[in-house]
Amino acid sequence: MLLNKDKWPEFVGRLAGKKLLAPQSGGDAVRFAPVSDGEVPMLDFKNTRVPPKQALFPQTETMYRFQLGTEEIELPQLDEETIWLGVRPCDARAMAIVEKLFRWDIDDPYYLKRRELTTLVGLACNEPGLNCFCPSVGGGPASTEGLDLLMIDLDDRYLLEAITPKGEALLDVTGDLLDEVKADAVKEKEKVVSAAEKKIKRTVDTEGVSAGLPGLWEDPLWRRVSAACLGCGTCTYLCPTCHCFDIQDETEGFEARRCRMWDSCMFEEYTVHTSGHNPRPTRRERTRNRINHKYSYYVDKFAVTACVGCGRCVNLCPVNIDIIEILRQVKEAL
Amino acid sequence: MNLGQLRKIAAEVVAREDVKYLIGWKQGSYGYRIAPGFVEDAAGAAELIFSPLCTANLATYLTLVEKLPVPRGQEADKRKVALMVKGCDSRAVTQLLVEKGIHRDEVVVIGCPCPGMVDPALLTEKYPETEETVEVKWSGDGFLLNRSGEEIKVPRDELLAEKCRLCRYPNPVISDILLGEAVEPWELAEDNGVAEVEGKDVGGRWDYWEEQFAKCVRCYSCRNVCPLCYCQDCILDRLNPTWVNRAVNFSENTSFHIARAFHLAGRCIGCGECERVCPVNIPLGRLNRKLAREVRDKYGFEPGVDPEAEPFQASFKPDDPGDFIL
Repeated sequence: MLLNKDKWPEFVGRLAGKKLLAPQSGGDAVRFAPVSDGEVPMLDFKNTRVPPKQALFPQTETMYRFQLGTEEIELPQLDEETIWLGVRPCDARAMAIVEKLFRWDIDDPYYLKRRELTTLVGLACNEPGLNCFCPSVGGGPASTEGLDLLMIDLDDRYLLEAITPKGEALLDVTGDLLDEVKADAVKEKEKVVSAAEKKIKRTVDTEGVSAGLPGLWEDPLWRRVSAACLGCGTCTYLCPTCHCFDIQDETEGFEARRCRMWDSCMFEEYTVHTSGHNPRPTRRERTRNRINHKYSYYVDKFAVTACVGCGRCVNLCPVNIDIIEILRQVKEAL
Repeated sequence: MNLGQLRKIAAEVVAREDVKYLIGWKQGSYGYRIAPGFVEDAAGAAELIFSPLCTANLATYLTLVEKLPVPRGQEADKRKVALMVKGCDSRAVTQLLVEKGIHRDEVVVIGCPCPGMVDPALLTEKYPETEETVEVKWSGDGFLLNRSGEEIKVPRDELLAEKCRLCRYPNPVISDILLGEAVEPWELAEDNGVAEVEGKDVGGRWDYWEEQFAKCVRCYSCRNVCPLCYCQDCILDRLNPTWVNRAVNFSENTSFHIARAFHLAGRCIGCGECERVCPVNIPLGRLNRKLAREVRDKYGFEPGVDPEAEPFQASFKPDDPGDFIL
């Protein structure tokens, strides 16, 4: 369906009743923030600094609450329906990829309940960023995987494509604002998407990488690419597919809660044993693990690369550790 | 500075028997990016550069290096690390010496007098980053950008980093080898960032920091990049007891940032790295500079300028002002 941009404020108004989040800049790094009633989010952004993985996998998730000294637990109420507006296709794809893990040995109730309550409205990229390389890892600027609805910006109007019944439901409540798609819009879409694809300059070649990585275990390349690493969590926390977590109990007096919170394989304490032994003692082993997990282990287990090419780790690494460059060196060493 | 001279001296230094490696700056993988370079031979030395993009303070690597246990029967590698420093970076080295975080004979300091760095964020905003590497140089009283053959002259004031506007030590305060000529210190700018926060009432300041700290994702890049955050056992990593919960919320984030700022009072040398690396743009420099000013005004102490100084937080004088003690 087509939505004329004149009707955008009205379209957003129709979504009221559910919690709505959209990228907002406020003169600062763009981030997802709740949209208040009457506010109209303007979707003029490249991408948010922190990915929307927090929609389904909050940085801190209360699993249950309890009172010290009792055996009763209180489960959190997860019942708020939420719409995330302006999710980039790479980030939505990342959520679909991570869902494979959260459906693996057990169905994770928190992740899956949030997915059920969340509608992901995507916005295709007409102006990909400098370090975007989604086509190299199976995505694209208008990929629909993981989304409920995809919006494509056709200058004065949006082309809306429902992907799931939740997406269709959104088109139903806004039906009177929408026009049928005609042949010209389909053509324009093809033009816009292919123009966006051409703007993506950086690429990685993943052929043979998943099978070859384990053989490079002791290769000198790991020392080289990790020499400057500061061991911070920027690359992993801002990665839409990184999903490692820790579970800790927090108490305040006799009130306690068990929480699941983001963890990072780049932190020293991530693998440290109770004995003090650390099987990944330096940033070389940690960097090697980060690349192996994304480009080898995850591929073995779920037949998909756990990297969607969003470029955040490249953009934001304080010391220019560039995953595209690392993969180039991996290919060279194979 | 003459790049040929820099590379020649670097090659000489890494060839020395008592030097393990040299840490300097080299061209990054694209655009304006600069990467820390760990140089072990002449080929590596030939990649080194010094340009207005070399904002990173490499002194952090002196304490960040991971020392694995030495296997029985083997000797620890006690050779020196050579380090390229700007004025601000040399203050970090000096402060590390004062605190005995490092010893003078462990390091060869190669000083680079610094005419001022560009602010990478300002630069990217005005001249969007490209896939090709962009060369940036000092030229007269400004910066010269070379974007795919096109030369652009930009006045110094347009791009100069905030930390450099406030810098009183553009020349290294210590060095074993000094590259090039000393530069003339420039007139200091007003610290508008701190003034903006100071201009608010207590409630306004609280709201300001609440908004800032709420953004924090606790990646700890500010802690890890800081040359003076080098506790082997950081309270943030302790699990038993958990001094600061891992939960990310305003309260815990605030605990983290207050602990970080206070531990740096009288120690922060103003290299601005914490603010540069923050992925969510928290203006951490404002906290550090405010505390630095308090320490300077009340105690007359400035960190990282005198290697013989007593560490501020570990010394006591009977006439220290106690007016903040209730």
